[in-house]
Amino acid sequence: MAPHAEQLTRPAVRLEGLTRSFEGRTVLDRVDLDIPAGQFVALLGHSGSGKSTLLRAVAGLDHQVTGSGRLTAPERVSVVFQDSRLLPWRRVLANVLLGLDGKAAEERGREALAEVGLAGRERAWPNELSGGEAQRAALARSLVREPELLLADEPFGALDALTRIRMHALLRELWERHRPSVLLVTHDVDEAIVLADRVLVLDQGRIGLDLTIDRPHPRSYRDPLLGEYRERLLAALGVTEDHR
Amino acid sequence: MTTTTVTTASPEKPAPVAVADERPRARRRGLAPGRRLPAARLTGPLLLLALWALASAAGRLDPGAVPAPWTVLETGVRLWTDGTLTDDVLTSLQRAGSGFAIGLTAGVLLALASGLTRTGEALIDGTVNLNRAIPTLGLIPLFILWLGIGETFKIAIIAIVVYIPIYLNTHAALSGIDHRFVELAEVQGLSKLAFIREIVVPGALPGFFVGLRLGVTGSWLGLVVLEQINATSGLGYLMFQAQNYGQSDVILVGLVVYGVFGLISDSTVRIIERRVLSWRRTLSN
Repeated sequence: MAPHAEQLTRPAVRLEGLTRSFEGRTVLDRVDLDIPAGQFVALLGHSGSGKSTLLRAVAGLDHQVTGSGRLTAPERVSVVFQDSRLLPWRRVLANVLLGLDGKAAEERGREALAEVGLAGRERAWPNELSGGEAQRAALARSLVREPELLLADEPFGALDALTRIRMHALLRELWERHRPSVLLVTHDVDEAIVLADRVLVLDQGRIGLDLTIDRPHPRSYRDPLLGEYRERLLAALGVTEDHR
Repeated sequence: MTTTTVTTASPEKPAPVAVADERPRARRRGLAPGRRLPAARLTGPLLLLALWALASAAGRLDPGAVPAPWTVLETGVRLWTDGTLTDDVLTSLQRAGSGFAIGLTAGVLLALASGLTRTGEALIDGTVNLNRAIPTLGLIPLFILWLGIGETFKIAIIAIVVYIPIYLNTHAALSGIDHRFVELAEVQGLSKLAFIREIVVPGALPGFFVGLRLGVTGSWLGLVVLEQINATSGLGYLMFQAQNYGQSDVILVGLVVYGVFGLISDSTVRIIERRVLSWRRTLSN
């Protein structure tokens, strides 16, 4: 289903002058950002650039952080963390349904597990799953709540390279089917280019580059046109030829 | 000379030719103790029992100090059939049971109140640790003055012995719950009640069970002490009387009963623990 034109113009997420600081150090410095509904955005940056702080602010997880600015986010927000964060004492299906009740939810949970390729593993314990499977279950848990906004904090950072490629395809496929807005935090330039339609580079608490990637999906790492985007992003991240 | 070797080359592959240092690799020496002997845990106790029986039969033991195993058995049967043992065992069980139940409830409730609220922590945690610093059995004289020498004071002492390890371990487990799971609960929009049900309680259960096992052991220990110094009934009293009359066989019967109680209660807790924490077993399999 294609997103409605009017939906696209109304931003799902709006940051206005968002500032966050820890112990006097400014991590986010008056960030302004609109994410239209249904857009797939990747947020790149060095460690310490404030990208996780931004994601946590949007997720509403920054309780004891001093800051200012305005933040608008949709009501249904799901978060996928770097670790799958499955409760070891609950079976996979119960983990997916965490916070939901009722028969209808259970049915949706089973469907979500089937969607991520974990049909039949409903009764497994989390520590019986491989890293990739656990992250799939975490994706199912975030999907089952039908989020308007999906926040992902380096969700594939702990996976091996082969699993990561498969998870990229899965995430893109799920996005195409459900069309939430996505904010994917990553430090992997290639991951950002292959997945997102818009890539932001966060540098010293400000958005240093806002790049729209206008290439059809599925994208290949070898697409030469993507190479140009990669160069620009690496330059914005301060990685030049002699660093490589 | 024969050497035990394991050849690593697969049979269909031809052996590499003319490699000077190609030697069949001996399996490394294992450092683990190896396979467990059958009924390993019973071997030692059975051997001891056999030695005891042999020494008694050979007349090498003073029957006044260490009676023969069969004498102890006979005395046990006699005490049981004439009702003395039954009455005393029931009295003891009742004391230990009531004290344990009260201690268990108090330990869990205090740990929850202290682990889940800052006010609770401020009020409870320091107080319990102060209580812990005083050996509970040292409270006996004071408790006799306050509560009299009846059942109440005995149950109170046992409850204190039980609640402390349960509180400490449950509280430690509660405060040790991974902050990432708290964050997850916030993201998933769990209510306070659902948070306790889904994350706090299951997360604290392993610690609770450690406390529970210590508490069970503690309740027997407290019972023995209480019954031997200030009682007119119960298993400890029976043994204390036997000491006055030099009936070492009766003392041994009492010890066997205590041992059986200890074993049964500990195994029960273990079985419950294994069922409740079944998600952990997958790690060791």
